[in-house]
Amino acid sequence: MTTQDLNPPSRRRRRRGTAAPYIFLTPAVLLYVCFLLVPIVYSIYLSFQGLRLVSGGAFGHRQSTFIGLENYATALTDAEFLGGFRRLAIYGIIAVPLTLGLALLFALLLDLGSARAKRFSRTAIFIPYAVPGVVASLMWGFMYLPATSPFSYITEKFGWGTIPFLQNPEIFSSVANIAIWSGVGFNMIILYTSLRGIPAYIMDSARIDGANEWQIATQIKIPLVAPALVLTGLFSLIGCLQLYGEPTTLAPMTSTITQTWVPLMTIYRDAFTLDDLPLAAASSVVLALGTLVVSVILLRLTQKRAFGDD
Amino acid sequence: MRSKMMAAVTVVAVGALALAACSGGGSTAGGSAGAGTSAAPITLTYWAWGTAQEPMVAAWNKSHPDIQVKHTDAGGATDSSAKLLTATRAGNAPDASVVEYQTLPAMIVGNAAADITKYVSAAAKGSFTNAVWGLVTFNGAIYGVPQDVGPMAFVYNKARLDALGVPVPTTWAEFATAAKKVHIADPNAYLTTFDPSQFGGFAGLAQQAGAKWWSVKGKTWTVDIDGPESIAVANYWQGLLDNGAIKSEPLLTPQWNQELNNGKILSWPSALWAPGVIYGVAPKMASQWAMAPLPQWTPGDSAVGNQGGSAVVVTTSSKHPKEAAEFAAWINSSQEGADVQLTTGQYPASKLGQAAAEKSAPPKLMPQQTDFWPLASKIAANTIPSINWGPDVNVASSAFQDAMAKAIANHTPLSAALIQVQKVVVADMKKTGFTVTN
Amino acid sequence: MMNTDVRGARHATPRLAKAVPTAVLLVGAFYCLVPVVWVLAASSKSVSQLFTTFTLAPGTGLVENLRNLFAYGNGEYGQWALNSLLYAGVGAVLSMIVSTMSGYALAKYQFRGSSVIFFGILGGVLLPGITLAIPQYLLMSKMGLAGSVWSVLLPSILSPFGIYLSRVYAMAAVPTEMMEAARLDGASELRMFRSIAMPMMVPGMVTVFMLQFVGIWNNFLLPFIMLSDQSRYPITVGLYTLLSQGSGQPALYSLAIIGAALSIIPLVLLLLFLQRFWRLDLISGGLKG
Repeated sequence: MTTQDLNPPSRRRRRRGTAAPYIFLTPAVLLYVCFLLVPIVYSIYLSFQGLRLVSGGAFGHRQSTFIGLENYATALTDAEFLGGFRRLAIYGIIAVPLTLGLALLFALLLDLGSARAKRFSRTAIFIPYAVPGVVASLMWGFMYLPATSPFSYITEKFGWGTIPFLQNPEIFSSVANIAIWSGVGFNMIILYTSLRGIPAYIMDSARIDGANEWQIATQIKIPLVAPALVLTGLFSLIGCLQLYGEPTTLAPMTSTITQTWVPLMTIYRDAFTLDDLPLAAASSVVLALGTLVVSVILLRLTQKRAFGDD
Repeated sequence: MRSKMMAAVTVVAVGALALAACSGGGSTAGGSAGAGTSAAPITLTYWAWGTAQEPMVAAWNKSHPDIQVKHTDAGGATDSSAKLLTATRAGNAPDASVVEYQTLPAMIVGNAAADITKYVSAAAKGSFTNAVWGLVTFNGAIYGVPQDVGPMAFVYNKARLDALGVPVPTTWAEFATAAKKVHIADPNAYLTTFDPSQFGGFAGLAQQAGAKWWSVKGKTWTVDIDGPESIAVANYWQGLLDNGAIKSEPLLTPQWNQELNNGKILSWPSALWAPGVIYGVAPKMASQWAMAPLPQWTPGDSAVGNQGGSAVVVTTSSKHPKEAAEFAAWINSSQEGADVQLTTGQYPASKLGQAAAEKSAPPKLMPQQTDFWPLASKIAANTIPSINWGPDVNVASSAFQDAMAKAIANHTPLSAALIQVQKVVVADMKKTGFTVTN
Repeated sequence: MMNTDVRGARHATPRLAKAVPTAVLLVGAFYCLVPVVWVLAASSKSVSQLFTTFTLAPGTGLVENLRNLFAYGNGEYGQWALNSLLYAGVGAVLSMIVSTMSGYALAKYQFRGSSVIFFGILGGVLLPGITLAIPQYLLMSKMGLAGSVWSVLLPSILSPFGIYLSRVYAMAAVPTEMMEAARLDGASELRMFRSIAMPMMVPGMVTVFMLQFVGIWNNFLLPFIMLSDQSRYPITVGLYTLLSQGSGQPALYSLAIIGAALSIIPLVLLLLFLQRFWRLDLISGGLKG
């Protein structure tokens, strides 16, 4: 199946206008406006509000009033919120390269003719994708807690004590591990199918020229799947910035993970536990802008590499 | 031409879909179609969690065919209270909901809990002691009907303590000695664990020591989370942690459960509902555990605080507050309601329930302790009335958990964490607009 | 087979070259399966065995756990499973249709606003679900839909990633000249889409369906915010309520674990079944420069 559009752009222009594309797009645009645009605008509006006491008395009622940029000031000067970004950076440095690296490694190995048990491995590595984040974190929680962990069981038998999965600083690797475990399979499949799309003659002629598999992998295959790598990298990065499920499920099991361990946890706490929706909205705007900036930077940096003259 | 028709059809289809959706949906709004007419039964919605609720509601529905209640589990304590506030804003709140005592002030300030003073009949009033009513009364108004209470008690692994030759402590000094003895006898065992996230438990202990974390006089609040009594409690636990007699660990994790089962954690100073919780994760330990009164600071004292416990509130968005209040009063003070509470491990707040408790079998965790319920009644009678929670307990709880966790991780004093919590709570109250004295 | 050595059978692949890649793949497979094995083992343990036996050893309480699970709350788990199926199944089908239509329109037509719409929709992935959850809930309440099945279905239908995939696939799989020819024959745009484009886009559609099915099935936050009636909960929210009963109530670990184990099975089966149909290469295909 070809992956290139065979027609030069000029042939695609319609001679007369038609309502067709607009009709086809109506459901998506409607849903987008309803469930993305309106909530976003409302969130931004909310971020300038605050819940303040109106009626007097010790048990007066709180109501929404305009407070300007106060929420933004609070968010940007909150040591915990900003600390969450720092922790995200540490987590990201572990999780993103490892997820992509392992996905690439497994994809390349699956692509090798000489490997065996490929069907089984491919399916097994993909299975974590079917496991919801809450369940995965629960499972890994049992794997990490010293008393119930089979890994600590083994190390204890050897006399090495228990593995401190849930202490600082190992906690970062432990949380990253859950994300890596969940994400490798999906990314591996993307890269693998991309690899299968490379025409065979390229590899064959390289082999005739005497290149070994390692050289083929590093100098031909990887560069040719660069676009897929960029895409999976981008999604991993966005997923990293939006880390929430794994630390939240692990939090009850260890005091190392506070309620503000990552920015989204802080936002959740503000919105639900502290019932301060406007502050959560302001923090979300900050987070979203940060995500946007990082994504744009990533795309700019990799544009030449991945997309050529696109 | 065709495209124009297509366009028209699409628009009509989308419109019809939207209309159908709008009219067919929405079922969590309070009240019912039969409002106003007495022929059709009134349906109330009720949010509550826990195994006791379904049978209680079934008992009510059976005996009150004209007021039917639909029960739903909206999540545990923290989740359902958060949802209640959001639902109130959206106009989707149920008619009644279970709310923990410590969250009640936030519900009042958030305009979710309604004042039901005028709906509480004299009979209902008489079903609970004044002390218990104090848990739901603010500024002279009643905001809910108490359902269960959690007088604090000491639940311990009797078999192991006997085997180790450690006597049951009656004062906190004896507790410290016992903790050291346990740990020396078995380096892997601990008398108990300190969980930095147990805000309610620590608050109860501070209350027992005489602290009043929030108090209000007229329109002015006083916050005293870092008063000398609370600091003393913090320092006490600090001492135990420092010399390794107890360790810090989150409660009820798979790890904690495992250690409990293996006899490595020997007690849980908590409340009368604890046996049910422990039995839920350690059924093998039945008849090895027992309950005793909580250790005291001064020998001979008997007052204890409350940990947990909840009330049923009527929401401000309810269209049938009178019926909802009636429902709340009935399930919390009737014989049928009390029976259900006892079988599911709740300690009833009502006089009738506590009297019935005395006659019932001991909890499954300690079938050998036949005086469990009489002892429980005595303990309940000695509970310090009302901890006086403030309007931002959720802020305090969140700050407490993080500050305590950090203090333990960084080996800084727990008392410093309390001071930090005080700072955060006062700042938050001032920001919202309350008048707070220092 | 593209990796066949062209120089002939005389050059046999050395043993090591076969063993090392296989070993690495098997280690990866093992690593991915250990927690799944744990869930299956743990689901066979009764509560008294759960915290007293070795983590990976199976127990004897499987039947008891199953019975308790389906008896809980008068068969609530069965209801949750049906709800998950409803939300994921209907949601994925609707999402597939909307994404395909949108992708097709964006790919095959030049019209004003196509870039704005496309990048606008893609920008949707930048926002975390939590941020939008409450505003969406408030909006749903205004529409009178909060707590109903629609409150979970409608927000799930829009999938920026699905639209992106469909667009890439439409660009690659539907030749414009066929469309031109059909137009010359007098076919309407809708007819063209239905009879020509859609059949050609089937593998892409299956991919989008699968991605959305898994995504909606595993989604926790959206149904958690929108729903308060436990008879409408999907499995993810239901399991969560089993574990977070609140203080004073024991967490129903064994029920949650077996519930989780059961919920993974349909997804795994679905993935295995659909494996031959989905085409994830189209994700990278559209990026070729």
